[in-house]
Amino acid sequence: MNVQEALEKACPDVRSGAAADAVLGVRPRWVASPGTVAEAAGTLRAAAAHGLAVVPRGAGTRLGWGAPPRECDLVVDTRRLDRVIEHAAGDLVVTVEAGLPVDRLAEVLAGQGQRLALDRPLAGSTVGGTLATGAAGPLRLLYGGPRDLVIGITVVRADGEVARSGGKVVKNVAGYDLGRLFTGSFGTLGLIVAASFRLHPLPAARAYVTARVDDPHPAVQAVLHSAAVPAAVEIHAPPGGPYAVGVLVEGVAAGIAARAEQVARLLGPAAEVGDEPPAWWNRPPAAADDLLLELTLPPAALPGVLAAAGEAGAEVGGSAGTGRLHARLPASAAAAVPELRDRLAPLDAGLVVRAAPPGLHAGLDLWGPVPALRLMRRVKDQFDPGHRMSPGRFAGGI
Amino acid sequence: MTAPEELPKLIDDCVHCGFCLPTCPTYVLWGEEMDSPRGRIHLMKQHAEGTPLTPSMAGHFDACLGCMACVTSCPSGVQYDRLIEVTRAQVEQEHPRTRGERAIRGMVFALFPYPRRLRALRGPLRAYRRSGLDRAVRRTGLLERISPSLAAMERLAPAPGRAPRLPERVAARGDRRATVGMLTGCVQREFFPGVNAATARVLALEGCDVVVPRHQGCCGALSLHSGRADEARAFARRTVEAFEGVDVIVVNAAGCGSAMKEYADLLSGDPAWAARAEALGARTRDLAEFLVELGPRAERHPVPATVAYHDACHLSHAQGVRAQPRALLAGIPGLTVREIADPEICCGSAGTYNLFQPEAAGELGDRKAENVRATGAELLVAANPGCSMQIAAALRRRGEEIAVAHTAELLDASLRGLGRAGVLTQ
Amino acid sequence: MEEITRALVDLLGPGAVITDPVRLRTYECDGLTHHRATPGVVVLPESAEQVAAVVRLCVAAGVPYVARGSGTGLSGGALPRTDGVLIVTARMRRILEIDIANRRAVVEPGVINLDVTRAVRSEGYYFAPDPSSQQICSVGGNVAENSGGAHCLKYGFTAHHVLACEVVTPDGEIVTLTDGPGYDLLGAFVGAEGTLGITTKITVRLTRVPETVQTLLAAFESIEAGGVAVSAIIGAGVVPAAIEMMDALSIEAAEDAVACGYPPGAGAVLIVELDGPAAEVEHQFAEVERLCRDAGAFEIRIAADDAQRALIWKGRRSAFAAVGRISPAYLVQDGVIPRTALPEVLGRIDELSRQSGIKVANVFHAGDGNLHPLVLFDDAEPGAAERAEEVSGKILDLCIEHGGSITGEHGVGVDKSRYMPRMFTDIDLDTMQMVRCAFDPAGLCNPGKVFPTPRLCGEVPGVRKGVHPLVEQGKADLF
Repeated sequence: MNVQEALEKACPDVRSGAAADAVLGVRPRWVASPGTVAEAAGTLRAAAAHGLAVVPRGAGTRLGWGAPPRECDLVVDTRRLDRVIEHAAGDLVVTVEAGLPVDRLAEVLAGQGQRLALDRPLAGSTVGGTLATGAAGPLRLLYGGPRDLVIGITVVRADGEVARSGGKVVKNVAGYDLGRLFTGSFGTLGLIVAASFRLHPLPAARAYVTARVDDPHPAVQAVLHSAAVPAAVEIHAPPGGPYAVGVLVEGVAAGIAARAEQVARLLGPAAEVGDEPPAWWNRPPAAADDLLLELTLPPAALPGVLAAAGEAGAEVGGSAGTGRLHARLPASAAAAVPELRDRLAPLDAGLVVRAAPPGLHAGLDLWGPVPALRLMRRVKDQFDPGHRMSPGRFAGGI
Repeated sequence: MTAPEELPKLIDDCVHCGFCLPTCPTYVLWGEEMDSPRGRIHLMKQHAEGTPLTPSMAGHFDACLGCMACVTSCPSGVQYDRLIEVTRAQVEQEHPRTRGERAIRGMVFALFPYPRRLRALRGPLRAYRRSGLDRAVRRTGLLERISPSLAAMERLAPAPGRAPRLPERVAARGDRRATVGMLTGCVQREFFPGVNAATARVLALEGCDVVVPRHQGCCGALSLHSGRADEARAFARRTVEAFEGVDVIVVNAAGCGSAMKEYADLLSGDPAWAARAEALGARTRDLAEFLVELGPRAERHPVPATVAYHDACHLSHAQGVRAQPRALLAGIPGLTVREIADPEICCGSAGTYNLFQPEAAGELGDRKAENVRATGAELLVAANPGCSMQIAAALRRRGEEIAVAHTAELLDASLRGLGRAGVLTQ
Repeated sequence: MEEITRALVDLLGPGAVITDPVRLRTYECDGLTHHRATPGVVVLPESAEQVAAVVRLCVAAGVPYVARGSGTGLSGGALPRTDGVLIVTARMRRILEIDIANRRAVVEPGVINLDVTRAVRSEGYYFAPDPSSQQICSVGGNVAENSGGAHCLKYGFTAHHVLACEVVTPDGEIVTLTDGPGYDLLGAFVGAEGTLGITTKITVRLTRVPETVQTLLAAFESIEAGGVAVSAIIGAGVVPAAIEMMDALSIEAAEDAVACGYPPGAGAVLIVELDGPAAEVEHQFAEVERLCRDAGAFEIRIAADDAQRALIWKGRRSAFAAVGRISPAYLVQDGVIPRTALPEVLGRIDELSRQSGIKVANVFHAGDGNLHPLVLFDDAEPGAAERAEEVSGKILDLCIEHGGSITGEHGVGVDKSRYMPRMFTDIDLDTMQMVRCAFDPAGLCNPGKVFPTPRLCGEVPGVRKGVHPLVEQGKADLF
């Protein structure tokens, strides 16, 4: 049986890779779209038998993150794995297949007055892709990121075996937590096919408190150390200013006005309270010709980080409360990345290049220093001894 | 007293949860399981199951301060107080002490429970202190080990003769509300006569006739808490006899009060004394406990001072008296009371502990001194003379001085309108 | 053992190495006393470098080792090895840094959970994970067990409050696991029950003390009525800080022990605590109170101050130990079910109890379906312990049957590893153990815990072609 036959036997939906299927310029020979977990397992088993390099893909909204794969024989597209397996509303838990778009999940949950407390990511993003990239937005401050909300995961290993960890109860310490391990692993350990999440009630009311400020730092600190329990503390720092600070409070309708007022007092006389987010809210820059950076920092390092990023010519915004900012850097300034990284290091801050225009990857260290890299390589060796899963996409060339 | 046969049952009450660990002074110091209550109970279990009492075992039992903080923190109601009491007696019986240990123990138990012998020591001690360390003494190494505490006592105690000796009866001021007996104690009587005088005055000012029996001696606490049960029983019988005429016996030393409340257990095996002992125990009250039960009547005058209140273990853990002294202090106008961090941890004085385990006692004293210093208080208030001496000595090692007073002395100053001078210029 | 003991003494000094058999035996168990093993030797290191050196000695000698914090675990996770070294972190108890501006603190593993809160309380912060043993359990132990507590319903577990861990790996290397780039090894490490290495420094997240805390105690005729109230509260979109329930038997025990003064005649009491901004809590609290009444609460007490709140919690917190007063012996079970299955599972437990004649007291974190049935028996009665063990095991089966878990917070340890195959397939367990093989291929770090059967890690990880030689020779099985 040749490769094509083996793949077709495992998965009825296999086609040749098109130009549009290229992962950062690397075009796969085949694209398989399994419709069931069994088909996904069969696909990976066939790929293992034939030594194929595999890149899992959801909606592809963040496929440009990370480095191009060293090889890519097969893209496994999860979008046909899009069922809501179980929404146990009374338990505030949902179990879904990985290819389900997050937006659609949100609609289903909203029907019961609930939500997965992750910001709506880029339009069309799937649950699996969100997990694989560990992507989160402003709400991370109060609810945590994907790693904190996933309570169970089902994966297909590189060898095609289906494995599960966690479960569908929130409180559970039986066995290792593979859910957290696979979150943010960029498809290098296996294929995420299903996951369970803890849910939160949809808040009855929201208020956004925004203010233009000369220096966002005192405002951010004031809100962070207050008892206001903000759901998000964001900043917007375009080059040349002015800076803006935005705070989201969520809760019962009867209390929201008082709480927003409390935050407004902390932000100063220029603060405004509204029902809608400011235009810059949760909008990481998406210009294809620029570098998209993620800056991680202890919140108190904000002034230093803003200064360094500003001098490097970056436009900065994002979650000052959690210390995760995004920044856009013109491709022409790519050479400034190592220097910026060096300037951030003494501030205990880090820089990861999330996405870069084609052609820039080769000369660029996307990830910066990675502590415990040796252990990570050993984890990779265990899960994917043949180094066939998204090879080269991840930190340290994993 | 608890019979050794009861040990397995008492040991079984421990579920090994570990809640006692953070309140145990020796665990706090060394972080070792066998120097925690849970570990010591485990050692007792090993012994009860047939393991001979090894020197290492005895060492861990000796290292226990008997502060009973573990009894307070135990959610399962383990009676560690009874466990350690029986175990100490076993150690005394089964564990051969070295000659040096025997000498120190012999000296301590021949000295402390006897007020007259203590009194005899005061003059020479003062001379000793003035002359510096005597060479001969240093050669024996004996007094060197026990001298820091004795010297501290001497420094803290007022000069002999100035303190009034208490008459056998002190009459109530105004309408009499109660007739109480008063234990004068050994160390209290000889080194802190001022505390006894203050206690008697406060009781009288609050409307109590105070009876101070001439023939009282040591209550037996020191012996009881060191595994010398027979000796303790002899002291107990004498004390029971001395106080049988009064309704309430008021005690101002925490260790003595806690021992007297346990007389029933101590003499339970003696048919002639069991009932009398139980009756006496039931009538015993700590001074603060009694005053709160009685309720304030005398006028309180301001004492503008900042004080830190220290919980003596034998008051807080052994007798559960924590709120009453604080309530009394809170009733003094102008007084600011500061809490000391980690109040449940022993200061290291613990009866004879600072004599037998000077190093651990010193470390615990240092920790307590640091916490006391952090309160910024100018006066340390405690209901046990040993604690005050221990903490003051530890502060002095750091080159700091703090005035000390007994709760009774503060109340006395307030009731008599002496102000700050009543407690801070002694 | 003698050789490594000598080396350990050379390394750490005699004061940090315990070899006396009588002393060693005091370390034979943690909070779960029916698994016992006297360690070969105990060491009390005071720094990460010392821990790393001890681990390297063990690796070189092929000697297994186990880390232990305060020894309060309830699954035998710190059960020593008779042929191994027990590494006790009780002397690594410094709070190294308090960084309020960044809402974090750096502590050594032996620091007691509650001491972190004590150190930052005056700044308006606390460390959120609050296991019942928080006054003595160590932060290192919390990391190993991914400890929760009554308030994890709202605030999450230790994993959500640890920002970084310095770890001595099973190679004896000191590395720092963070939330930075690369795999979330920190996420895998927290809750791995000490099988992936020993943490020597922990950066914890500090949480702002809430503006308001409101606590009520509601008494119901029956557990079922209490369960209805829980569902109603959750259904109304309220996320309480905690919802705890106790049944009649555990109320009786707590009453005996600490005289908590719960309403007499209650078949169940519910403790509901809300915290957060006053404007939020006030409204939700009124609703919670109404929902409890609607569900049939015959008495509701609202704590007016901290002292009253403490009294309400006193009964709940003392429940485990208190049961010791009404029963000569008991097993504490820890299982999880979906919250909505509460009424049915409790009914089935009641049935089990009646059939077996073994009494079961129920104390549980009702908000997240975490049951703590206390299985009571008289250890003097022949066969009672076995029957209790059987009931206890059947309760876990019930949890699995209802899609729950065999442990919500006590961990698998040595006690429940045999139940793991009931919850997970061989492949699941094999996959988890790939992580273990990556960290500890020699299998010396807390061996025999979590997994019923160790996985064969292979000589050198890498491309594996063909059948493993040991499998071929019939000497080992691969899953």
